[in-house]
Amino acid sequence: MRLDGRHLSERIYDSLKRRHSAERRFRAMGLGAVGLALLALFTLFGTLGLKGFEAIEQTAITLDVTFDPAVIDPAGTRDPVIMAQADYLGLVKSALRDQFPEVTERSDKKELNQLISSGASFELQDLVASDPTLIGLTRPVALIASDDVDMAVKKGIDRSTPSDSRRLSDKQLDWLALLKQRDRLNVQFNTRFFTMGDSREPELAGILGAFMGSLLSLGVCFLMSFPLAVLAAVYLEEFAPKNRWTDLIEVNINNLAAVPSIVFGLLGLAFFLNVLVLPRSAPLVGGMVLALMTLPTMIISSRVALKAVPPSIRQAALAIGASPIQTVGHHVLPLAMPGIMTGTIIGMARALGETAPLLMIGMVAFIVDIPKSFVDPATALPVQIFLWADSPERAFEERTAAAILVLLVFLVCMNAIAVILRRKFEIKW
Amino acid sequence: MSEAVGQMSVDRRNVALDVRRNRRVAVEKAIMVIMIAGSTVAVFTTVGIVLSLVFESIRFFQVVPMSEFLFGLEWSPQTAIRADQVGSTGKFGAVPLITGTLLISGIAMIVAAPIGLFSAIFLAEYANSHVRAVVKPVVEILAGIPTVVYGFFAAIVVAPLLRGAGESAGFDVSSESALAAGLVMGVMAIPIVSSLTDDVITAVPQSLREGSLGLGATKSETIIRVVLPAALPGIVGSLLLAVSRAIGETMIVVMAAGLSANLTANPFAAVTTITVQIVTLLTGDQEFDSPKTLAAFALGLLLFFITLILNVIALTVVKKYREQYE
Repeated sequence: MRLDGRHLSERIYDSLKRRHSAERRFRAMGLGAVGLALLALFTLFGTLGLKGFEAIEQTAITLDVTFDPAVIDPAGTRDPVIMAQADYLGLVKSALRDQFPEVTERSDKKELNQLISSGASFELQDLVASDPTLIGLTRPVALIASDDVDMAVKKGIDRSTPSDSRRLSDKQLDWLALLKQRDRLNVQFNTRFFTMGDSREPELAGILGAFMGSLLSLGVCFLMSFPLAVLAAVYLEEFAPKNRWTDLIEVNINNLAAVPSIVFGLLGLAFFLNVLVLPRSAPLVGGMVLALMTLPTMIISSRVALKAVPPSIRQAALAIGASPIQTVGHHVLPLAMPGIMTGTIIGMARALGETAPLLMIGMVAFIVDIPKSFVDPATALPVQIFLWADSPERAFEERTAAAILVLLVFLVCMNAIAVILRRKFEIKW
Repeated sequence: MSEAVGQMSVDRRNVALDVRRNRRVAVEKAIMVIMIAGSTVAVFTTVGIVLSLVFESIRFFQVVPMSEFLFGLEWSPQTAIRADQVGSTGKFGAVPLITGTLLISGIAMIVAAPIGLFSAIFLAEYANSHVRAVVKPVVEILAGIPTVVYGFFAAIVVAPLLRGAGESAGFDVSSESALAAGLVMGVMAIPIVSSLTDDVITAVPQSLREGSLGLGATKSETIIRVVLPAALPGIVGSLLLAVSRAIGETMIVVMAAGLSANLTANPFAAVTTITVQIVTLLTGDQEFDSPKTLAAFALGLLLFFITLILNVIALTVVKKYREQYE
C-alpha cells in the first residue's frame, strides 16, 4: 500500500522513531529533575559541612604566664573578690612582651596585644579562682587567639594583598610565624563553642545559650500543644457529630496549617505581649507561639493515627460494657499513641527550625547569659544562626555554619526518634 | 431474716454501683467538655489572628488612608522624629512590596514547578520501587531543612556566586538580588510540589494507564495525555500551596533579599518583600503607636488574606479531586 509516495509501514516506522525518542527525552527530563533536586541537597550539606567543621577547632597561643602576686593579690588575703578585680589583661600583655622583648614601640605593642582575644583575661581569672596555689608561679597557658589570628591560621593569609585590605598587618603575620616556629601556636578543640553563651567576639561566642533557649521553648511548646492536639483529635475523630460547627473546625484547622509562620508571630506580639503583657524575649512566649503554630499539623497527624485503629477494637470494648470515653481512653488512644508521638515529634522538629515568629516577639536580643527559666530573656538556635549570619566579622561565618550543623544534628535526632518509634510500635492491623 | 439481710446488701451494692456510675458519668461529661474546648483552640487562634491584625490595621488606616496603602507606589516607612519636620510622614505604598514578593515567588516557582513536577512524574511512573524508596525521602529532606539555613546558603553562597557570574558576563547583579533569594526559595519549594503531585499521580487509577497503553501509546504519551489531565486539579492545588508558601516565606528573603523597595521586574536588582518589611519594622526599638509599627500589622493582614485565599482555593481543588476517585 502506498500513500503520498511512501509505504505506510515506513511512515509508521518514522513516527515510532520520533515517538520513542520523545519518550527517552521525557524520561531524561524526569531523571534530570530528580538529579537537580539531589544536587541542590548535596551542595547545601556539602558547603555547610565544610564551613561548619572549621569552627569545631580554635587557635590558641601558649604563653608563659607569671601569676604575679603583686598584681593578683597584693595583700595576700586570697579574697576571691579582690582576686576577681585584678588586672589579668596586664598579665597577658606582659607574657606576650616576654615572648617578644624586641617590641618596644607603643603602636607595635598595641598590635601585638591584638593577637590575643579579649576573653583571655577571663580565662586567667577563672584559672586563678579555681586554683589559687598558682599565684606566684609561672606556667605555660594556652590562651585563646583573636578571631583574625584564628582565621589566618586556619585559612592562611595571602601576603601579596595590600596590607590595608587584610585583617592582620605584616608585623602581626611575622609574629605569628615566630610563634609557630617556637611551637606556641596550636589548634585545639573549641569547647567554648559548646559551653558558652553569645558574644560580640566570634572567638568567644558559644551556642549553649541559644540551645537552652530552644530547649525551653520546645518544652513549653510540647506542654501546650500535645495535650491540646490529643484532645482536639480525639474529639474530632471519635465524638464530634457531623454538623456545620465540626466542619468549620476542620476547615479552620486545615487552613491554619498553611498560614505563614510570621503571622503567628504577629499574633504573639499583639496578644501575648501587648494584651496579656507577658515578658518579651522569653522562652515562655516563644513556646506558646510555636505551640499555636504546630497545633494544626499535630491535630491532623493525631487524627490519622486514631483513624488507623480498626473499628473492631472499639466495638469489642463497647460490647463488654465500656462507655465511649472508656473505650477511647483505655483502648483506642493507647493503641494510637505511637503514631501520635511520631506526629508530635515531627511537629516539634518543625517548631525547632522556626525563626520568623520568634523574631516578632523579641527573641532576637543579644543575650550573653544562659537562660535558666521560662521567663529569662533568651534566643533560640535558628535565631542565633540568623544573628550570626548578619554579623560582619568573617569568623562568624564558620560559626554560623557550625551552629547550623548543631541545629541539623538536633533535627536529625528528633526525626530518628520518630522513625524508631514508628518502626518499634507500628502495628499492622 | 437472713433473706432480708441479703436483700439489703444487694440494695446497698446497687446504690454503690449507682453512685459510681453517676460519678463516672459526671467525669465523662467533664472530659467531653474539656475535649470540645480543646478542639476550639484552633478556631480561637484564627479569630485571635484576625482580630489582632484587624485592630492594629484599623489604627494604621486612621493615619494612612487605605487607598494610599493599597495603590501607593512608594514605600519609605521612616517617620521623622519631630512632627513639624518636612516630610514627617513616611510613604506607605505597598505596591513595590507586592511586586517584589511576586517577583521572588515567581522565580521560585520557575525553579520549583518544573523540577518538582518532573521528579514527581519520574518517581511515580518510571523509578522502580527500590529507587523510589530511597530517593523520595531524600528529596523530602529538603522540606525539613529550617528556612534560616536556606537563607544563610542564599546569602553566603548563592548571592556572591551570581554576583561574580554577573560581573564576568558584564551584568550588574546586586548582592541582594531577587534571583538569589528566588532560586534558593525554589529549592525549598521543590518537595512541596513533588510530594503532593506524587500523591495525586499515584492516586490516578491504574485502569486509565492500561487503557492508554493498550491503545499503543508510549509511556510518556500516556502520562502527558491521560495521567496528568486526570491529576490536573491536584497538581494545580500543589502549585498553589507552593506559591502560598513562597509568598509567606520569611527567613530566606530576610537574609538574602534587600531592604529598599524598588518597583522593578529586573531579577538582578534588589527588591524587598512583605515579610521582609514586617520583620524590619518590628525588630529593634519600637514604640507601639507609630504608623511604622502599625504598618507591619497592615502588611500582616494583607499577607494573611493573600495566603488564605490561595490556601482555600488549593484545598478545595485538592479535596474535589480526591472525592472523584475514592
